[in-house]
Amino acid sequence: MINFHPELAHLRAFAEGTCPTNLALMISAHVDLCPRCQAITMQAQEEAGLEVFSGKLNAADPQPDFNDMMLQIMQTPDVEAPVLQPVNNMLELDGKHFALPRALARYTHKTGNWSRLVGKLWQAPVDLGQDGQANFIYMEKGGKVPEHTHKGTEFTLVIDGQFSDGLADYDCGDFTIMDSTKKHMPFSEADEGCLVFTMVDKPLHFTSGLARLLNPFSQLFFK
Amino acid sequence: MLVGIPLESKHSHAVVPKDCADEMSSYLVLVGQSRCKRSFAEIFNYFAPRLRSYALKQMGNEALAMELVQDTMSNVWQKSHLFNAEKGAPSTWIFTIARNIRFDMLRKQRNRKEDICADDLWPVLCEQTADVNEVSLDEQITLQQLGIIFEDLPKKQREVIEAIYIEGKSQQEVADQFEIPLGTVKSRTRLALQRLKEMLKDND
Repeated sequence: MINFHPELAHLRAFAEGTCPTNLALMISAHVDLCPRCQAITMQAQEEAGLEVFSGKLNAADPQPDFNDMMLQIMQTPDVEAPVLQPVNNMLELDGKHFALPRALARYTHKTGNWSRLVGKLWQAPVDLGQDGQANFIYMEKGGKVPEHTHKGTEFTLVIDGQFSDGLADYDCGDFTIMDSTKKHMPFSEADEGCLVFTMVDKPLHFTSGLARLLNPFSQLFFK
Repeated sequence: MLVGIPLESKHSHAVVPKDCADEMSSYLVLVGQSRCKRSFAEIFNYFAPRLRSYALKQMGNEALAMELVQDTMSNVWQKSHLFNAEKGAPSTWIFTIARNIRFDMLRKQRNRKEDICADDLWPVLCEQTADVNEVSLDEQITLQQLGIIFEDLPKKQREVIEAIYIEGKSQQEVADQFEIPLGTVKSRTRLALQRLKEMLKDND
């Protein structure tokens, strides 16, 4: 059951095409999983469409000659009545298969190998091109990320299973935005573990125990 | 040929898309079914200029606005068979196509800031492996290693690091606790971190 939705302003900005593109990807994937937000964005897109395409053209804004463009478009050879490409929307880890939302399926071939992290965690990087990098993080049952806060913003979408973080419990489809005001320690006690899709724009900042010692070395471990 | 088709056809002039939705729907269906050029011209002549005005406002650049129009209307031509009148109005469908293309254009435009790599974002937790099959490291090893190395620090440095990083005290509090000058706390912290860094390097 989805309890955490993008805020309404973000849903609208996504529908209207005015939010940052990385947020757009997260919301698009959430919308794939969430009938409520799908209805809201459809409604917003309808309103936006009416606004953009309503009414007379402004005479004070002379239009260029579109004829060439139109003819050129109609001359493009017919694409064979496209059989909908069978997109591989499954993500595999260790014999487990996860179905990805439509918006993320286009990135399966941009997803790198899984790496094992400390604490029963797995990570696979996703190359988003100009949007930078995202990660699939899989927490095995009992897996946990050391307590941390965020120097920037962290988007998280639950793809499969459940996890908690000391602030709340999250289920499949839940979407959260964390920032420097929120400190949390994600962990999963679900039998099937938990797969999330996440984007951070700045390194995590560990806040507890020995993990704090790791902060000054974030660059060092990886060349 | 279609050269003679006027840009603004008579009846699509002043109507709001709500009023012409049915008409545009049927044109779209015709394009989808039979690549009807006349129908496409009706659609094009109504939507393209309005889309350009909107895009120009949003993007503030004539060339980009025209690119958006071109890509959107190409999609309309190519994908008209996917339009489903029962699911929504042509204005919704075409706006959504334009919206998606705009997101793609923004993605391409954006100069890649600095390359952020996952390793920086998920510091230290990551045991780098090229292949899943190579994973054999104990999952706790990094933190454990760190603990062992930490024990090797000189006592005075370790105390300071412990107080700051584990007990979460401020440097001033540590200075007060050990009755040493603040500058000493700072230099011990710096030295300890440097030392840890070297030991971790050697440990690789």
